[in-house]
Amino acid sequence: MDNVNVLIVEDTPTESDALTKVLEANNYNIVGVATTFKNALDLFYNNPVDIVVLDIFLNDNPDGIAFAETISVTPNASKPFVFLTSSTDRKIFERAKLTQPFSYLMKPFNELEILYALEMAVEKFYAQPDVFLGEEEDTIISSEYLFIKKGKSLKKVLLTDIIYIEVEEKYCNIITEKEKFVILISLTKISKLLDDTIFSRTHRNYIVNTEKITEIIPSDNLILLSGNHKATLSDTYKDILKNIRTLK
Amino acid sequence: MNKKIKPLLILIFLLFNLFLFSQETSDKLLFNSVIKKKATEYKSFPFFYKAASYFIEEAWDSTLVYTAKQLNSHQKKKDLKDFTNYLRGHSFKQKLLFKEAQKEFKLISLEFEFYNLVKFRLGQLSLELNHFKEAIVYYQELAQLPEDHFKYFNKSLVYHHLGLCYLHLKEFDKAEPFLIENVRLIEQKKDTLELIAGYGNLANLYYEQYKDDLAIPYFEKAYALSKSTKSFKKRSNTSLNMSVVEENRKDFSKALTYRKEYEQWQDSINNQNRIYEVAKIEKEFAVKQKQQEVNLLAAENKAKVKERNGLLYSALTLLILLGVTFYFYKEKTKTNKIVLEQKERLNELNATKDKLFSIVSHDLRSSVNALKTSNNKLLENLESKSLDTLKETLKNNSNIVGSAYSLLDNLLHWALLQTKQSYFQIEQTRLFFIVEQVAENYKSLMEDKGIAFKNSVQKTDKVFTDQESLKIILRNLIDNAIKFSKAKDHIHVYTQNKDSEYCNLIIEDSGLGISKTKLAELLMDETPLSKKEHENTIGTGLGLQLCKTYIEKNKGIFSIESTLKKGTKMIVSLPKATSNG
Repeated sequence: MDNVNVLIVEDTPTESDALTKVLEANNYNIVGVATTFKNALDLFYNNPVDIVVLDIFLNDNPDGIAFAETISVTPNASKPFVFLTSSTDRKIFERAKLTQPFSYLMKPFNELEILYALEMAVEKFYAQPDVFLGEEEDTIISSEYLFIKKGKSLKKVLLTDIIYIEVEEKYCNIITEKEKFVILISLTKISKLLDDTIFSRTHRNYIVNTEKITEIIPSDNLILLSGNHKATLSDTYKDILKNIRTLK
Repeated sequence: MNKKIKPLLILIFLLFNLFLFSQETSDKLLFNSVIKKKATEYKSFPFFYKAASYFIEEAWDSTLVYTAKQLNSHQKKKDLKDFTNYLRGHSFKQKLLFKEAQKEFKLISLEFEFYNLVKFRLGQLSLELNHFKEAIVYYQELAQLPEDHFKYFNKSLVYHHLGLCYLHLKEFDKAEPFLIENVRLIEQKKDTLELIAGYGNLANLYYEQYKDDLAIPYFEKAYALSKSTKSFKKRSNTSLNMSVVEENRKDFSKALTYRKEYEQWQDSINNQNRIYEVAKIEKEFAVKQKQQEVNLLAAENKAKVKERNGLLYSALTLLILLGVTFYFYKEKTKTNKIVLEQKERLNELNATKDKLFSIVSHDLRSSVNALKTSNNKLLENLESKSLDTLKETLKNNSNIVGSAYSLLDNLLHWALLQTKQSYFQIEQTRLFFIVEQVAENYKSLMEDKGIAFKNSVQKTDKVFTDQESLKIILRNLIDNAIKFSKAKDHIHVYTQNKDSEYCNLIIEDSGLGISKTKLAELLMDETPLSKKEHENTIGTGLGLQLCKTYIEKNKGIFSIESTLKKGTKMIVSLPKATSNG
């Protein structure tokens, strides 16, 4: 599991310092602190960013909103935003709201509030509500990562790192090259949201990353995976054999 | 001789005609009443009825039209038919169409009730047409009738006409008895005018036979009688007769006097005619004048009506104007009243604001003052390096700043509320996290005061609310709970889901509690701002005011339950969000 990358756009050093301190304490990775609009774009395009925390006002101009607007209109570039503001001025909010989905946080804020705001932003951005706040689930699936709530903070797992997933009722065991952990997510949701060109169901309880398959032994109903992992192949799902490119 | 007689004869005719019409009037009236009776009797025949009424009005043409219509309707009733024919005959006669009149009269059946009258008329017509012999036949029959049959025509007239007929036929000996009888009858009636004519006729009768001795006394009688009448015509006629008589007697001087008299009367007649004409002109003039007057009056009347209408309209307009003015006046007083009320309210609000300012600034001043003195103490402590007191003082300072901050925060939100500039978005919100986030800020304070805090709100409790305003509400309520709690007290935040529509968020403390009067005061729509009962606590009532307003804005309900010395329950009821996740 990796830390989530956060870009901070904030022109007041004391505030950005406090924010950095809080986020790092909660295992977030700060990729940079931008103080201007240009600086922010620069840092955004040159770093892997998962979430952006940005002040609406940079040097007394609503450049924060301008930044969000610029990112929003760039295809495939947009990321979850959390707007920071010290005023609830309606006009500014109306403008900021145009960059959907919209999450905001009033200054001053405490640790709980910023963590909550980050989680809300991720939920809203990937349109999977009531995940981190509820008790049934703890994982959001994007096209690249799994975002998993771990204690007070968020963690992420690159989807391509996953070898296979073993489902046990409400829980899913995620097995990667390096580790093995349990997440809370429903099977229907996971099968709906995972990229089916990479992941295939091989059994009622197994979802396999086809890229990690080393050998399939149909007679034993067995799939051998990289890292000496094994998965079961049931008759119902034998069709995958046709879909998998095999070297001959 | 003959030559001299001729004008006399003409004279006789003249007399005869005059005589005829004057006699008729009384008989006509009598017969008209008979016709009226008949008309009402035959009212169901509209043509006859109309003809009869026109007959009485002497509108002969109309009578002819309607009688023709009546005859064309082929009514079988003989009586009705006879009457119609009589009306027609008489009308023709009046229009001097004697032959047509004769035809109509002859159509009348012998059974007709008034057949004698018909005979009389036929006689008259024959006389007019100079058929003297025919006339004599009719009149002879009539002359032999008993007295009581002469109801609608005169017996003397019958004799007169007979006499005339014979006179025209120059059968003088036959004419004589009738004319004498005529005169006798007239003498009985004592009608001077008729008498003159009667004497004239007799005189002519004798004169024609050259019985001058007999004739002259009649002429003279007529002349003498004419003196007593006012008729110029009679006078001139008798004078002319006398002059002719005297001329024939060769007494020219007398004849001349008579002639002169005749001419004088003739002039008088002319004069009279002229006078009539003048009178007529005068009458016309008078009528014209009257007409003018009438016109003038009519015009005046018109003008008056116009004036009256004008007055009416203006009165109406005035009334409407008055109404409108009254309406606007009323509206104005209404708005004035509203304005006045608003003004009073504004003044009140302004006063409240002023008071608020004074209290807030007073509180802030004391806070800052406390900080100032505390800072001095800090410096002293720093010099004396007593670190324990240093820490204590700093903590104290931080508390002072904290409460001053929350006061300022409330002030800011209050101002934002007043100007309605604040962003406000009602969304589904999980209460647990909001309570956690707000409580986070007070954790150290509560620890210091030794107050136990517990958030047992369910993670599944979701309500519709604006997140920021809920935070403000919670901040104030928790702040209050802390203020009124002492060491070992506890604050408990939890929810109750008794209602299907509302979720009750309860902030319960075991602190001082609130007295009943104070509670009522707090829940009033507008809490009077005041200094606190409990010293050492900064506050203005602004916080609670803010809570109430925000709860209202979030469509929630606010209530307080409290017992003195036991604690307070602040209950915020918010609309539940439908739980679907």
